[in-house]
Amino acid sequence: MFSVDFKSLLAPLLYVIIVFGGLYVFSTLYKRYYANQIIEPYFPRHKERDIYVSLLQHSDPPAPEQLLKAALVRRAMTDVQRIIRIREDKPVIQALTQKGSLGDDLMTSVQAAEKELEAEILEVAQEANSYVEGWGQIIFQTATEMLQNEKMRGMLEQMQISRAEKAKKYPVKHVVRPSPVTGSSAASVPPTPSSAKSTNGLAPPTTGTESVASSDGEGPATPSTPRTPKSAKKTKKRK
Amino acid sequence: MSHSHAPGQPGHTHGPQPQAGQPGVQQPAMVMRPPDPVMQAVIEDSFSQVNIALGPPENVSALCSAHSLEKCNDCDVDFINLNRLSKMLHLNPNLRCPPPPQIVSQKLSMAINNTKEEGNALFKAGQHDKAIQRYTMAINVAAQRPPWEASQLMREELSTIISNRSAAYLESGNYVGALVDAEAVITLKRGWSKGHFRKSKALMKLERYHEAKEAIELGLSFEPSNVEMGQILADIESTLKAREVTRQVKRENAPEPLPIPVPTAA
Repeated sequence: MFSVDFKSLLAPLLYVIIVFGGLYVFSTLYKRYYANQIIEPYFPRHKERDIYVSLLQHSDPPAPEQLLKAALVRRAMTDVQRIIRIREDKPVIQALTQKGSLGDDLMTSVQAAEKELEAEILEVAQEANSYVEGWGQIIFQTATEMLQNEKMRGMLEQMQISRAEKAKKYPVKHVVRPSPVTGSSAASVPPTPSSAKSTNGLAPPTTGTESVASSDGEGPATPSTPRTPKSAKKTKKRK
Repeated sequence: MSHSHAPGQPGHTHGPQPQAGQPGVQQPAMVMRPPDPVMQAVIEDSFSQVNIALGPPENVSALCSAHSLEKCNDCDVDFINLNRLSKMLHLNPNLRCPPPPQIVSQKLSMAINNTKEEGNALFKAGQHDKAIQRYTMAINVAAQRPPWEASQLMREELSTIISNRSAAYLESGNYVGALVDAEAVITLKRGWSKGHFRKSKALMKLERYHEAKEAIELGLSFEPSNVEMGQILADIESTLKAREVTRQVKRENAPEPLPIPVPTAA
């Protein structure tokens, strides 16, 4: 009778041990798995920062201050881009994580990136102040403007390419017409090539300022140089 | 000047030097709080050396150490923009750091404006090709603005000049040039009706009426009450209708031609 009692106890006891033991094993394994998992960085390698630090460490000969300052500005530019990225992405990721459409991993990596960025910005400001007192307050403004400026320059450079593409896409029908009026128009044609030149934005500024003074004198001078390469384009210009 | 970066100098917090977690050791007297030491350590851990050689003039340019190139695909580096800024600072030794964006070179603005005005005068006189030259020159000068100056100003200048040049191209019969310029204006200032207006006009001249219509509709969505653009839209629609009619007439007259020549003929 006693032994029967014991046997009937054994089954529930075993059940409890198996269930809780299983849960415990699962949770430890799961935790270990998560602890080993590295948070995937939200941003790729910060190359500008690496360049800046590499330049700082450059010893033989040491990098001149202008180069270091320029590298610091570029580092700040990347930071500005990242700030904008995080500001745009974070609310979206937050909302999606709350809804359950996204896992927590992404949110964790965004938060880590945000913290890192904060430290990074302070560091850049400190660096800037160590060159020129007070530069730290404006270096990010400068970086923002430079980003915009570079975008615009890029667009100007893009215009040459897009001009060639558009010329292909929209074959100009007027070319077909005979064009006897070469005398006067040939001189006036070259703006296309010269404008193409303009777009790389590297022409020395002096030519521009000089030309202002001698308003019309510049006219024939510019055309003479780039006449040959784009003769195909010229034809459609006349009309 | 205030900062001498001899390698291995003590009390310095950047670089992956071993003394990681001690920020703000050599900090100037400022209200700024020091960066989070943990995060700073993370930053320093992520450092990986970039091999750089210094190049002319006077070492102010950076080159990849393996091939001595500014932009090197093998080393995966691009120092062009870095060097441009560095040289700019080198050429202006009085400039200890890029000044705040509000400080603007007035001379440059005046030069740009003068050139633009000359272009406008030539345009009004009907000398479109000369006007285009002036405008191009003005764009050149505008692109020379130091990159740290307020970009809004450059945007304004560029968009007006390019828009004017687009008009000049259109008048001189270079419709592709007009189209490219108009699109540039749109990228510079998307909400400005002029860009869409010019694009639509250029497309009309290129006989791409459907695209012209799309362009003007986009422009009207920014500025629905613009009379000029409304007029263009009406023009395009009437042209499209007329074309539709002529096409139908042609189809009736010649019922059996191949379907291909129809669009070209129209």
